[in-house]
Amino acid sequence: MVKYRESKISAHHNYLVNEMPTPGFVVGNPDKQEGFYFLGDIVLPEESTPRISCRLLAEGSGNLLLEMNWNRIQSNPEGCIHQSIPGGFQVVHSSGDILLEVRTQAFANGYLTRIKARFYDENGDLRMETRGDSIRVYDAEKPVLDSPFSSLA
Amino acid sequence: MKKTKINSIPGCVWVFGDYREYFQNRITLQLIAKGRDLAKTLNTGITVVLLGEQIHQYAMEYVAHGADTVMVADHPNLKEYEVETYTTVLAKWVKAYQPEIFLAGATSFGREFFPRLAKRLRTGLSADCVDLEVDPETSLLVQTTPSFGGELLAEVITPDRRPQMATVHPGVFRELPHNSEAAGRIIYPEVDVFPEPRLKVTRSRPQNKGKVSLEDASVVIAGGMGLGSKKQFELLNELAGLLEGEVGATRPAILSGWADEDRLLGQTGKSVKAKLVISIGTSGALQYTTGIQGAETVIAINRDPNAPIFRIADLGLVADGKTVLPLLIETLRKRI
Repeated sequence: MVKYRESKISAHHNYLVNEMPTPGFVVGNPDKQEGFYFLGDIVLPEESTPRISCRLLAEGSGNLLLEMNWNRIQSNPEGCIHQSIPGGFQVVHSSGDILLEVRTQAFANGYLTRIKARFYDENGDLRMETRGDSIRVYDAEKPVLDSPFSSLA
Repeated sequence: MKKTKINSIPGCVWVFGDYREYFQNRITLQLIAKGRDLAKTLNTGITVVLLGEQIHQYAMEYVAHGADTVMVADHPNLKEYEVETYTTVLAKWVKAYQPEIFLAGATSFGREFFPRLAKRLRTGLSADCVDLEVDPETSLLVQTTPSFGGELLAEVITPDRRPQMATVHPGVFRELPHNSEAAGRIIYPEVDVFPEPRLKVTRSRPQNKGKVSLEDASVVIAGGMGLGSKKQFELLNELAGLLEGEVGATRPAILSGWADEDRLLGQTGKSVKAKLVISIGTSGALQYTTGIQGAETVIAINRDPNAPIFRIADLGLVADGKTVLPLLIETLRKRI
C-alpha cells in the first residue's frame, strides 16, 4: 500500500493547509479563555470570504499580541493594524512586521484561501508557519473541521 | 469541536480527471455521474485521479459534480499532459490501490494514454464506449462499444483482469449539476519519483476559434456528402446562423475538406445533446448517428427513402438537400 496524506475538501471554499485544500481547520482550543489558538472556520456557500478567528501570542514572552473574531480585531494590546490587501487582509504589528496575511483566490465556482504566518503557543512551541504557498500547522490531532465551529458564531 | 477522522482506502471506481479546457471539455463530469451509478451498484465510492500542478480548483469542481474522493499528484513535472509520465504514476497507483473499474474520456489524450496504461497493467480496454452498466449477477462491467466499423454494438466484459478499463465517448452521459454544498476527500499518495518528461511543450494555443462547442449547442445543423460540394456545405453555416446553432459534419465531409476536424460528429468525434439536430445529406451510418442520438429532436433530409438516417429521425423529408437547403434559408430569412 502506498502511503498517502489526506484531507477533506469542500466544493465551495478551502484553506490551503499542510499543502492540501481543507474546508476548515483549528489549531489549539478556542473554547479556552487563554492560550494560543487559530481557527479558519468553514465558509458557507453563500459567503465568499474566509472566517479567521485567533488568539496570537508573542514568541518567547507568550504575551498576548492580538485576538481576532471573524476577521475583526477584538483585543489589541500591541497596537496591531488590520489592512486590506488585494484578495484579503493582513495584520501588521506596530513594529512593522506582518503577523498574518490572508489572501483568497477566486475560481469560477469556488475559493481558495492561503495564509502566511508564524505563530507559537504559550509553551513556546511552533504551531503554524508558512511553507511554500501553504500554511503548515503542527497539531497532535488532524486539524480538519467537519462542520462550522459554532461557539464563536 | 468535531474533527474529521479519515483513513479508509479510496473507492474502487476510478475516473481519470481530464481538465484541459475544463469549461468546454465535460467528459470527466459525465464520467463522474455515470461512475456514481456504477459505484452505487458495487456498493463503493467514485474516485477521480488528478495529475498536474496547482490543480486545486479542479479537485473542487469534481467534488461539486459528485466525486467522493479526489486522488491528486501535484508536481511541476506533471504540469503538461505527457503520456510516459502519466502512465508511470498511474500504473503505480493502480497496482497499489487496485480499483475495480477505471474510466477515461475518449478524447485525443485518453485514446493515446489509456491503451498504454492498460498494456502496462496487462488488462483489457474497451475503446470509445457508448454505454456502461454493471451486470447485477456477476458484478462485471458491461462495456458497450461500436464494432465492425460501427455496424454493430458489442458488449465487452473483462472477467479475469483488473481494473476493467474503458474510454467513453464524450456526450453520451449527462453530468450532475454543480453543488456548492458538496464535500469529499482529497488524497495525496506518496510518489517516490516523478519521471522527467521527455517531451517539452514550448507553446500551446486553443484549437477552437471562438465558436461555441458542438456539445453545448442547442441547435446543430449537420451535413454529409449528400450535399455534393463544399459550396453547398457552406450554406449550412448560413442556416446555423439563422437558427443560432452550430455546424457539424460527417467523417467523409471532413475528409473532403468541407469542415474542420473539430466539427466531426459521431463515434470518433463529438456527441451532441441539442434540442434540435437537422441532418442534411447524411446517410445515417452508425458511426455518425452515435453522435446525434442524444438530441431531443432529429430532422433528417435525404433523397434516398431507404437511408438509415430515417430510422432515428423524428421527422424525415425525402428530398435533395441541395434543393431544400436554399429554400429553407430563404423561408427562414423572411420569418426571422
